Amino acid sequence: MMPRTLRTFALTLAVAFLASALAQTNLTFWSWRTEDVAAYEQFIAAFQAENPDITVSFTPYLNTEYNTILSTALQGGGGPDIVHLRAYGGMESLAQAGLLVRLDGQVAALEGFDPGVLLGATNRADGGVYGVPFALQTVQVLYNIDMFERLGLEEPTTWAELLAVGDALKASGVNAFANGTKDGWTNETLFGAVGPTFYGGTPFFEAITAGETDFTDPRFTAALERMVALRPYLADNYTGIGYTDMQTLFAFEQAGMMAAGSYELGNMASLNPLLRIGSFAVPADDAATPSAISFYVDGSYGINANSPHQEAALRFIEFLASQEYGQMFTDTLQQISAVPGTAPTSEALAGMVEMMNEQGTPYLMLTAFRFGTPSGSTLLQNEMQAVMAGDKDLAEAVVNIQRGVAEWFAPFQ
Amino acid sequence: MAASSPASRAFTRVVVYLILGTMAAVFLYPVVLMLLTAFKTTPEIFRNPFGLPASWGLETFANVWRRANFGLYLRNSLLITGASALLLLATAAPAAYALARYTFRLRGALFLFFLAGIMIPIRLGILPLYLLMRDLNLIDSPLALILTYTASGMPMSVFLLSVFFRNLPRELEDAARIDGCTEAQTFWRIMLPLVRPGLATVVIVNVVPWWNDFFFPLLFLTSDTWKTIPLGMQVFFGQHLVDWSLVFSGMTLASLPLLIIYLLMSRQFIAGLTAGAVKG
Amino acid sequence: MRDARRWWGKHGHLFVFLTPALLIYGLFMAYPLVSSLTYSLYEWDGYVRKGFTGLANFATVLTRWPYQERFWGALSHNALFFVLTFAIQTTLGLFVAVLLARKWRGFAFFQAAYFLPHTLSLVVVGFLWRMLLNPTWGAVAQGLRRVGLDGWVQPWLGQSDSALVTIILVNAWAWLGFPILVYLAAVQAIPREFHEAAVVDGASPWQDFRFVTFPLLLPSIAMVTILTFIWDFNAFELVFVMQGASGSPNYATDLLATFFYRTAFGDPTTGGEPGQIGVAAAIGVLMLVIIGIVSAFGVRFTTRSQTEF
Repeated sequence: MMPRTLRTFALTLAVAFLASALAQTNLTFWSWRTEDVAAYEQFIAAFQAENPDITVSFTPYLNTEYNTILSTALQGGGGPDIVHLRAYGGMESLAQAGLLVRLDGQVAALEGFDPGVLLGATNRADGGVYGVPFALQTVQVLYNIDMFERLGLEEPTTWAELLAVGDALKASGVNAFANGTKDGWTNETLFGAVGPTFYGGTPFFEAITAGETDFTDPRFTAALERMVALRPYLADNYTGIGYTDMQTLFAFEQAGMMAAGSYELGNMASLNPLLRIGSFAVPADDAATPSAISFYVDGSYGINANSPHQEAALRFIEFLASQEYGQMFTDTLQQISAVPGTAPTSEALAGMVEMMNEQGTPYLMLTAFRFGTPSGSTLLQNEMQAVMAGDKDLAEAVVNIQRGVAEWFAPFQ
Repeated sequence: MAASSPASRAFTRVVVYLILGTMAAVFLYPVVLMLLTAFKTTPEIFRNPFGLPASWGLETFANVWRRANFGLYLRNSLLITGASALLLLATAAPAAYALARYTFRLRGALFLFFLAGIMIPIRLGILPLYLLMRDLNLIDSPLALILTYTASGMPMSVFLLSVFFRNLPRELEDAARIDGCTEAQTFWRIMLPLVRPGLATVVIVNVVPWWNDFFFPLLFLTSDTWKTIPLGMQVFFGQHLVDWSLVFSGMTLASLPLLIIYLLMSRQFIAGLTAGAVKG
Repeated sequence: MRDARRWWGKHGHLFVFLTPALLIYGLFMAYPLVSSLTYSLYEWDGYVRKGFTGLANFATVLTRWPYQERFWGALSHNALFFVLTFAIQTTLGLFVAVLLARKWRGFAFFQAAYFLPHTLSLVVVGFLWRMLLNPTWGAVAQGLRRVGLDGWVQPWLGQSDSALVTIILVNAWAWLGFPILVYLAAVQAIPREFHEAAVVDGASPWQDFRFVTFPLLLPSIAMVTILTFIWDFNAFELVFVMQGASGSPNYATDLLATFFYRTAFGDPTTGGEPGQIGVAAAIGVLMLVIIGIVSAFGVRFTTRSQTEF
């Protein structure tokens, strides 16, 4: 046993040494996806098999520190060659400051991407695309299929049925929804699942981004009211339930439903591989009114403008935009790849892709109102956290959200 | 009165022990709980959060040690913290001595200059600091951390040591001068050995926050080679956030080095810290 | 030339003593801090420095919504943080120190126990207490349920009226060992004859404390109070780890340092808003002014009272 391990080790070392001696370029790749190290090492191995002259080293940073580290490094003229970028407003300031390489026109595969998807990596000032989007996420209600079958419950088709399902779950001794409100951003997730059906999905999205209406629109308030109406169905002591608590409640079957993003499928699979998960859009008052779910671009891969290895970096980026990569990504991480033409292999994920294609509407605050300070997300999360806790009136929260966004959103001024 | 005295004294004794014992429980129990939790599996943590673990196996610890590269991080933490402490002593002690024992025109201003640093969170300066380290070609070098730590520990150390130096009797200096010592010899041979408790205090006061810091390693270290325990553990926690069992084992492993040192030499630890504060 | 040599002969040792410390401290702490303070006088677009704007960033922090609401909120939270911590350490901490001064059997153990949490990283402290205080699985909630106090179980960290106080108590848990030990050493340093004289004069234990122990402890109390003030106005890690950079819920636990951090670098969990370096620097300058003025007064006051003493 031991000698063999040693021999393998020595062999690996020798190969690594040889490879590095031959290699012309070593690319560095920074990310906040600490959870995905193993997956990225696998992706990189696939790339290196085709490009033996390039090595890529993947360095993940803590999610909460990543923005600071990245912006500080890029600002100082350092940083990695390949940058894992956040979406929309999160990447725009870096592109705007000239720290990223413009990719449209350079990466041919980008032309095949959905224009709505590319928006997640576009600098609105010059219309340029500065990243290759990697994943799409949808926000909807996940449910525990086995628990539903045990209790004889079905996917609800009206709001009243949803509440009835919630009552039945509570009566069986579990929480209806795993959701809590302790971590501010999970309030936005809850809204992303509940809201679109009641503000009317894409028509409202288009009207408000065009400045034809604003957040005092009764449709927006109606959507928030439904979120508040779910309070009795959230986890016990929901104001003290944080994100990891929510995951645990749902994974270990102490809650039947969870308003959550599609990225939870991978998390749940590692927490409790036996859990079977279904998903549905929050239904309207009657079955005839169409329901909607939110979707958004999670982030993208970009190139540091100060990287000395532009040519090699571009080759790696082209790989990341390829269908081969997209399929590998979705199979390994159980997420929806942004690369066109990739098909999810898992049933649960396929269901979400279908919903996204039929009922998807852009995730309101994340995709359209994160370009200034205070962002729509910051406002929604904190104001609704107070409303959900019963500390604040909904009307006051709506006024504050409108007032905050109007600070920087020109059509509201 | 004489008859009731022993009884009331015994009663007082019981009450005092009761109060102090309760306090000790409040302070110790969470730490004990952390150690116990580290032995449990994740489902066990939620099912049985504060009972004894079902088994005392060390697999999770071995798991963390292997998967998180703990041995390397331990070495790095030791080297970086140790080197910072040495550099700090070598620079702060003479400066404090000069400020405490001599009168010269700039003394007040210099003292204030050092003192001002106690009140400022050094994170405020990270952007220029990062650029500086880059220009000095120190990114991904342990020296970036050693210099940052030494600089951030300087104000408090100069302040504490100057208090120690000031409390030494003036006659010592005069005697040394009469014996023909130079200023440097007086400092090195006579005065420095007398403030050894102060030096220990400085080391203790600074080493704990350095050992526990994760912000600056995160900024200055890009490769795995020099990562310290908190940074290595942060990345590891991120990878296994939902696996509470691994996270608790990691937390325990990360806390253990200081905890052991503290348990072995708590008297010196305590004496050092309190001496510094009281003399101030 | 001769002047120079004479100067060196007279001051050379000072030069040698002071230069290394000044160099390291000046280059790696003072210079970055000062130059980032000058940032507060400029306008920034993301990470690009634009024109000089004078005090506009300060006006933003102090008068413009929602910044001003955040600033005064955070300031009042820091103030409460300090006041409560001060109250706990000068009542409970002092009381325990006086008790411990008797040096009975086992007291060394108590002393060590109280200080032990101080050696833990605040990141570990935060994670640990987040778990203990979890309303569903936490040991505190489960303990209360076992003794039939189900009604006492609260989402302590999730309610706006209890979150900050809870954080302050967690901080006190990790911190209190320090003041206790300082006070203990100060009590033990009081010569026994002082107490004996008081007893001969017929003083009760309270009077002994009030008129002998307490006045002699004042310098230590003042010293610890100043240190507490400085550290509490720089507090960051615990809120960051337990409540996130936004000081959840709805800014109820927001501190000046989290406000600064969020403004400078954005909060990835609330959408990663672009950092506003200029405004953040202005917050930093205001923090510096508050901490600087109060602690300078404090130090001045204690040094004077000590010299008089």
